[in-house]
Amino acid sequence: MKTKSLLNLKVQLAFGAAILTMLAVGTISYRALAVSGELDQWVGHTHEVLENLQKLMLAMQNVESSFRGMVVTGNESYLESYRANFASAEQYELTVRRLTVDNPAQQRQLPALESLSARKVQFNDGVIRLRLAKGFQAAADAMGDGTGTQLMDEFQAVIRSMQDEELRLLALRSVDARRRLDQAKVALVLGTLLGLFAAAFAVWSVQRDSSGRALAAEKLQASEEKYRSLIDGVQDYAIFTLDPGGKVISWNAGAERIKGYKAEEIIGQNFSRFYLQTDVEEGKPEKELHLAATSGRSEIEHWRVRKDGSRFRANVVLTAARDSSGRLLGFSEISRDISERKETEAKYRGLLEAAPDAMVVVNAAGEIVLLNVQAEKQLGYHRDELVGQKVKNIIPEGFAERLIADGTRTAAEALAQQIGTGIELIARRKDGSDFPIEIMLSPLESIEGILVTAAIRDISVRKAAEEHLAQMEGRYRGLLEAAPDAMVVVNRSGEIVLLNVQAEKQFGYRRDELLGQKVKNIIPDGFAERLIADGTRTAAEALAQQIGTGIELRGRRKDGSDFPIEIMLSPLESTEGILVTAAIRDITERKKSEQHLVKTVGELKRSNDDLQQFAYVASHDLQEPLRMIASYTQLLAKRYKGRLDSEADEFIAYAVDGSKRMQGLIQDLLAYSRAGTNGKPLRKISSEAALKEALSNLRAAIQESGALVTHDSLPAITTDDTQLVQVLQNLVGNAIKYRTAEVPRVHVSAAKNGGKELVFSVRDNGLGIDPQYFERIFVLFQRLHGREEFKGTGIGLAICKKLVERLGGRIWVESQPENGSTFYFALPERDGK
Amino acid sequence: MMEPIETGAVPIEVLLVEDSPGDVRLTREAFKDAKVHINLHVASDGAEAMEYMGREGKHANAPRPDLILLDLNLPKKDGREVLAELKESPALKSIPVVILTTSASETDIHGSYQHHANCYITKPVDLEGFLKVVKSIDSFWLSMVKLPRVART
Repeated sequence: MKTKSLLNLKVQLAFGAAILTMLAVGTISYRALAVSGELDQWVGHTHEVLENLQKLMLAMQNVESSFRGMVVTGNESYLESYRANFASAEQYELTVRRLTVDNPAQQRQLPALESLSARKVQFNDGVIRLRLAKGFQAAADAMGDGTGTQLMDEFQAVIRSMQDEELRLLALRSVDARRRLDQAKVALVLGTLLGLFAAAFAVWSVQRDSSGRALAAEKLQASEEKYRSLIDGVQDYAIFTLDPGGKVISWNAGAERIKGYKAEEIIGQNFSRFYLQTDVEEGKPEKELHLAATSGRSEIEHWRVRKDGSRFRANVVLTAARDSSGRLLGFSEISRDISERKETEAKYRGLLEAAPDAMVVVNAAGEIVLLNVQAEKQLGYHRDELVGQKVKNIIPEGFAERLIADGTRTAAEALAQQIGTGIELIARRKDGSDFPIEIMLSPLESIEGILVTAAIRDISVRKAAEEHLAQMEGRYRGLLEAAPDAMVVVNRSGEIVLLNVQAEKQFGYRRDELLGQKVKNIIPDGFAERLIADGTRTAAEALAQQIGTGIELRGRRKDGSDFPIEIMLSPLESTEGILVTAAIRDITERKKSEQHLVKTVGELKRSNDDLQQFAYVASHDLQEPLRMIASYTQLLAKRYKGRLDSEADEFIAYAVDGSKRMQGLIQDLLAYSRAGTNGKPLRKISSEAALKEALSNLRAAIQESGALVTHDSLPAITTDDTQLVQVLQNLVGNAIKYRTAEVPRVHVSAAKNGGKELVFSVRDNGLGIDPQYFERIFVLFQRLHGREEFKGTGIGLAICKKLVERLGGRIWVESQPENGSTFYFALPERDGK
Repeated sequence: MMEPIETGAVPIEVLLVEDSPGDVRLTREAFKDAKVHINLHVASDGAEAMEYMGREGKHANAPRPDLILLDLNLPKKDGREVLAELKESPALKSIPVVILTTSASETDIHGSYQHHANCYITKPVDLEGFLKVVKSIDSFWLSMVKLPRVART
């Protein structure tokens, strides 16, 4: 009984202890749960505030970009987005105000924020009005004073400061919560041990209690994880805690990203390793901890060092954490890389995406800082796969080298030499395939130093075309070189794309001096113009009109001398469009001989005119004295015939005869030299009428000889009627004159001669002519018969030949002795009036 | 040489403007058989012909001719000028002018009639032809035609 009661007492004591322990543990659990709930709330709240601040900033950035878009383009559709974004910005401002109503520090910042956004919009509205009223230049000038940018910067600074404040509060609260949770943990462990010990005999009851305790511990762990995950999840801020001595206790993902250390590498290490060596030597880390400890918070902007030794500009907020008794528990640090790419990216993103080419921004270390969608597409990478990577990965050769200074010049100078010039390089896609590119570099000042913007153009198509051209060049070169003339192939811009050796020789240039040059350099006038379309026709048409016809132009040699050329153009289809092949012939010699010919013809004509004049004058002037001789010998013969002796009569008779013959010759010569000189304008006449006139002139001869003259129907012809009459008269006259014993029969006809000639024929049944004399009979004063047989000087056919030839025709004879003759003459058919 | 042959009849005064003595002689020979009494005066160039007409120098007492025989190709003053001057003179233009020349050119024929020549004759190249021409002048101009005679002072 005593034992029993003792046992009971012990059990009761144990129970009592267990109950007490239970009560204590329960209280601690309850408190832990409360802390966890409170923390939960804070985490959610902070998150909300941060989110709204971020949205506010984004809205304002959108306001800014719509504004700039409108100013640059003048397109009023931007105004819609501008106003909508500003309305949302106002909405976010209200939300932030509501969320931070319990935080006087944040509330104090709000008026500044609202005033800045209002001023910014006022400024923007002013510029927009200027843009609408006075155009781009006025608006640009108004923007140029930097007010807008300054307002925007200040606005962003306030937002950031508010974000920092929220995060600082959160960190502060988490330090506090962690302390309280730690205390709760210790109490729980102690209470549990005590309870286990006390309830050694009442395990079941203690075990029953333990369900409540387990629930509390779970809750605690969950809440701790929640805030940890928030802190850990922050990428843009390095958030970590330090013990009072400056050793790192916790480390988030942002810290890892910004500083390059993993949590396990850095926890337990002193934070002074984030400082520059010089700063450490000056004792700056300690000073800042001291400052934060004494004033509760320190904010500073200075250089920090990453794990890899690279520097970055950081904005650092150190906050001291103390317990309720004021004991220093440690510090939280929130830092931000303010040279962050994010800012650069925000600034240039719009610009980059608008560019038609792939754009990549690279820093001096050859790392890709920024790129646009086109670059992603062209190279086959996702953005994330390229940012931070070496540019060598996508452009293996020739780019990075251009960023690196050699001993004698700085990177800036090296770059300056490349700026604006297209460099042809090879780019490599993610799949390892290569393609030709042309890149244009331009520098971009930034906090990180000079960045390089590279516009990358895929020139595979152009390269292929060039290759095609090269192939074509190969194919045509043989042809070109084989040509006897200088050959030049010109594109539509008038640039020489191909030429042969003869062209080099003719113009005195080397091939490489002409390729790519304007054709105007060697053919100053008349060629390039033929390639250019005017308002009414296309280039192709303009060219088509010239194709195949020789154009006479002037060529210019390298030494500046000119020479006459003839060019023949022909089109040449190519991938570049229609090219023009010009065959160029040096016609200096031809021109010389043409000039020579013209001169010779002129001289001949002059000499011929002189001769004709001479013949006329001579025959006319010879006639006068001859007439005296003839007249007086005849007078002698008349008065003194039979009064002197018979010898005197004979002598006088010879003198009379000689002088008469001479008079005949002179008259014929005069007739011959005159023949055709007083030609009339050609007109359409009836050749039958001409024949009739000729026959009427021959009436006496026809009657005397009893000749039978017949003719076919004769056509109309455009010619000189007097001359045609004379020719017909001479030929019919001859036909009658050189007759046999038979009755003379003469037939005249005319026929078209395939070509453009009318051939007249005069056929007779007369003596006929031996073919050996066919040429001779047309020569002046050439006779086949003695004077005793037939009168005449041998002028008739010579005159016929002269007249027919003056009319552009020809004359010939077909005959056999004893078988009659046929005289033909062909006159050109002209379009008469 | 200007002796009247037939005292009873009024002689006809003819001025021959001719530089060739052979032609002058032939003309004179041909006129020998003329039906009328002819006083043949000779000027051997155009200048002398105009002096004769103006009765200058040795021609102070020369009679006004009833007919002028004018060659075209003359020394000093050309026959074409002489014709023009004669036909432009109100006092002299009524005197008939017969062009007697070797030229057969259309230009000369046309030009002469344009300047009011009264007829144009090309000298035949043979003697018979020439004699015939002179006889024709005699029978037509000197016998058949009524010439505008002007009262002598």
